[in-house]
Amino acid sequence: MRPHFNALLILALCLLATAAQAQNDPTPDRHGPFFLTVQIGGGQGLVAVGGGFWLADQKLEPEVLVGYVPPSVGGRAMAIFTLKTTYTPYSPSLQNGWQVSPVSIGGFVNYTTGEQFFLTNQSAGRYPKGYYWWSPAVRIGALVGARITHEVVGNNLNGLPRRTTLYGELSTNDLHLVSKFTNKSLSLPEILTLGLGLKAGGR
Amino acid sequence: MLQATLFGGVALLLSSCELLEFSPNDVRVSDTQQELTRKNLARLAAQPKPTGGDTLRFVFTTDSQRYYDELDPLVSSINQQRGVAFVLLGGDISDFGLSREMTWVQEKLDGLQAPYLTVVGNHDLVGNGRAAYQKLFGPLNYAFTYGDTRFILADTNGREYAFNGQVPNVPWLQQQLADTVGIRRQITVCHVPPFNEDFDPALTGPFARTLVQAPRLVFNLSGHIDKFGESEPYDDGVTYISGYSVQQRHYLLLTLWGQKHYKLDVIAY
Repeated sequence: MRPHFNALLILALCLLATAAQAQNDPTPDRHGPFFLTVQIGGGQGLVAVGGGFWLADQKLEPEVLVGYVPPSVGGRAMAIFTLKTTYTPYSPSLQNGWQVSPVSIGGFVNYTTGEQFFLTNQSAGRYPKGYYWWSPAVRIGALVGARITHEVVGNNLNGLPRRTTLYGELSTNDLHLVSKFTNKSLSLPEILTLGLGLKAGGR
Repeated sequence: MLQATLFGGVALLLSSCELLEFSPNDVRVSDTQQELTRKNLARLAAQPKPTGGDTLRFVFTTDSQRYYDELDPLVSSINQQRGVAFVLLGGDISDFGLSREMTWVQEKLDGLQAPYLTVVGNHDLVGNGRAAYQKLFGPLNYAFTYGDTRFILADTNGREYAFNGQVPNVPWLQQQLADTVGIRRQITVCHVPPFNEDFDPALTGPFARTLVQAPRLVFNLSGHIDKFGESEPYDDGVTYISGYSVQQRHYLLLTLWGQKHYKLDVIAY
């Protein structure tokens, strides 16, 4: 349990160091491509931290998150490593640098640590081939979300990141989808999970 | 309009805070969804036996795993039966060992007029399933007495423990079966039957012999194999009954009287 927490701490420090270095860079670059993320929920940890980079005119955001799940939530402490990509097609601008994006869509794949979450039937060592068709350690999911973004106008950032985004997402995963597709009586909200987060970056 | 969308969105997110799940393996649930074994046993203890004399009637169904659509018809069929003291669910409540799946089953079974009790299945032990089952239902091994009948429910999912020689816990089972003060008859309930490949092969003999030696044992009930059966597989005088899975849309209505008499009705729904 302790190593997970230490790994998280080290990762967070590395990200902070990278961010600090980026801000000291004297070359002005209006749209530095990197951002940092802090997220709660979304099936990716009580809190997850990470970062990624903007692609395709800041519409596409591939990122890596490392989440921590304390024992009070999961019985044992867990770390969740997530690869996630979000696509935000429309971000109409309001006044004073504000943007509202009504729809984001995305997908993710993650890995949960813990000996109870086996990767394959073979790696678990106790099942014949094909005994369980899914891996408790790996989840694949889809999400839809909405967000508001503030972008600092002008060159005086006062040490702040150029772009800050607050987002909310509703997601589901492969196992919940299989349950829903095979049962009419399960409603859509029953298979959804809420995540809230903050992304900041650019210079 | 954008502001309206935004505020609407934020309001929706805030109202759905119960959706804020930290992991699919999250085992936190509301108070009403915890310790159902203890709560249902308390309900049962307070309930007068619905059948007269020494007659006891109960339902056995099993393997509800991911068959949520079949649960409402099951519940309404069981509620139409007369004299049902309680319902036994023979394990594999969930398919993926997720607490959310277990709550989906709970919400459907809340419609039962009679209390219900469960035994743990192999699917309920996958991933974080053990922690979820223990929190939402209760102990993996337990026993209760109702209508002068002792029910002993045991975890027999040996493969989930890599056949470590300790599941089922045969000494515990022997101890429970030996305690017959004031008991007219006994019934053992498990998920994986001893004649299945997922039962610890080293314990098949000790388990079967324990049941042979058990005083006043009527039969053993099990799930897992999705195939109804009523037989004496070891020709040792012990009857093993395998129940219908929820998917098969049949269940067993069992009526006991005297010391070892019983009637088995197969009910379709």
